[in-house]
Amino acid sequence: MTTIPFAQRTYSRSKGQQDTFGDFTCLHCGRLVQSHELLSGVRNRNHCPHCLSSRHLDLYAAGDRLAACKGRMQPVALTLKHDGNKYRRNSGELMLVHICDECGKLSINRIAADDDNERILRVFAASQRLDPDTQAALTHAGITPLEAWQKELVQRRLWGGR
Amino acid sequence: MSTTKTISAQLRGVITQKNNGAFTVSTPTGSRNCPLTARLRRESGGELAVGDEVSVDAAGQIDALLPRRNWISRRSAAPMPGAHTHEQLIAANLDQVVPVFAAANPRLAWHLLDRYLVSAESAEIPALVVITKFDLAAGRPEADEIEQVAAEYRALGYPVLLTSTLDGSGLEAFRAALHGKRSLLVGKSGVGKTSLLNALEPGLGLRVQATNAVTGKGRHTTTAATLLPLTAGGAVIDTPGIREFGLWDVDGADLAWFFPEMRPHLDRCRFGLDCRHAEEPGCAVRKAVTDGLISPYRYQSYLKLRYDP
Repeated sequence: MTTIPFAQRTYSRSKGQQDTFGDFTCLHCGRLVQSHELLSGVRNRNHCPHCLSSRHLDLYAAGDRLAACKGRMQPVALTLKHDGNKYRRNSGELMLVHICDECGKLSINRIAADDDNERILRVFAASQRLDPDTQAALTHAGITPLEAWQKELVQRRLWGGR
Repeated sequence: MSTTKTISAQLRGVITQKNNGAFTVSTPTGSRNCPLTARLRRESGGELAVGDEVSVDAAGQIDALLPRRNWISRRSAAPMPGAHTHEQLIAANLDQVVPVFAAANPRLAWHLLDRYLVSAESAEIPALVVITKFDLAAGRPEADEIEQVAAEYRALGYPVLLTSTLDGSGLEAFRAALHGKRSLLVGKSGVGKTSLLNALEPGLGLRVQATNAVTGKGRHTTTAATLLPLTAGGAVIDTPGIREFGLWDVDGADLAWFFPEMRPHLDRCRFGLDCRHAEEPGCAVRKAVTDGLISPYRYQSYLKLRYDP
């Protein structure tokens, strides 16, 4: 990742910056992705629900569309979004961690209601055998991937139950 | 647009104001209101602009337009989506374009600045950026941001002046930059174009109004483009506030050339000059952005202009 030597300008929501940029065709699996909030349960549909791939489009803030990289972002791991409750173990929302194939940018994204749960579980399984570079990048970014012993937690978050 | 005629002993002059098809022409014998001859109206479609050099016949009518050295125009605002648009001339025969923005009230729009700069680049006219009302941002985080972004534009070769008519800062530098040149002031309503001129030349006494206290937007006080001579030499064309500035006659394929920082990279793309610098693999411009050589905001402006000129 290169450091951008340009001043970050005040983010102001204008007509060009919206929560959703409409339906799109996944560049990786080629399937049409509906971005409507009613289907996905999220306002920012930022990855394909079928193959879970994303694209590196944002630079500073979600929706700013300032990144010129536009590389494919692969799901590499799952993590928990801290909810601020330090007394509750394993609390927080289950999140997908994406990494850009081109420049290595990491991003943490919400899992949507229509995401393929089986595939999320496969990402979790694969994340137990991360290559050292990705592992180092996650550590450097302060992201703690979920580990094998947390599988039950992942399943509970995906399919419900106690 | 290129109606010309051999000028013999007729009076020559410069259009100093255009208002609903009526023209004020400054001639060696004084300023006068001149209509167009029927022939010129037919041939030119009435499209003359402030700064145009013309000849005036014995009847006091403008009968010929002299060749223009350059001009700035925009795409006319479409009354509804898909409606026909046409070229709208703003001014002609210019030495520099001066996009004016306010540090606050109304909010500074850097993307609009890029539109003005592309328009000036395509017309091959130098640009000078002026930011007014800097006193409103002083001591606030916005001031740092404006100074940093201004430095980025200076690095691209565009002079940027930070001014305030309240405390007089930047006005001397602005006066020096206007000296001996014909400058076109453009910007949104309420940014302080006319107030700047009043501060430079108090004798002008041009009408100004405060922006709307609720919306921070201007009140469209200036209603006609006017060429105003400066006592120190040179002239300024003050224009009404522009709500939209659509590019006219700028081909999408040439657009990147009008971003000076992109020029060194244009022939290095894998697809050569066919590259649109949007999604193409092996694009040298995109690589320059990710390498930190080109501002991502300028690149975003390029993409916006490419798809919505």
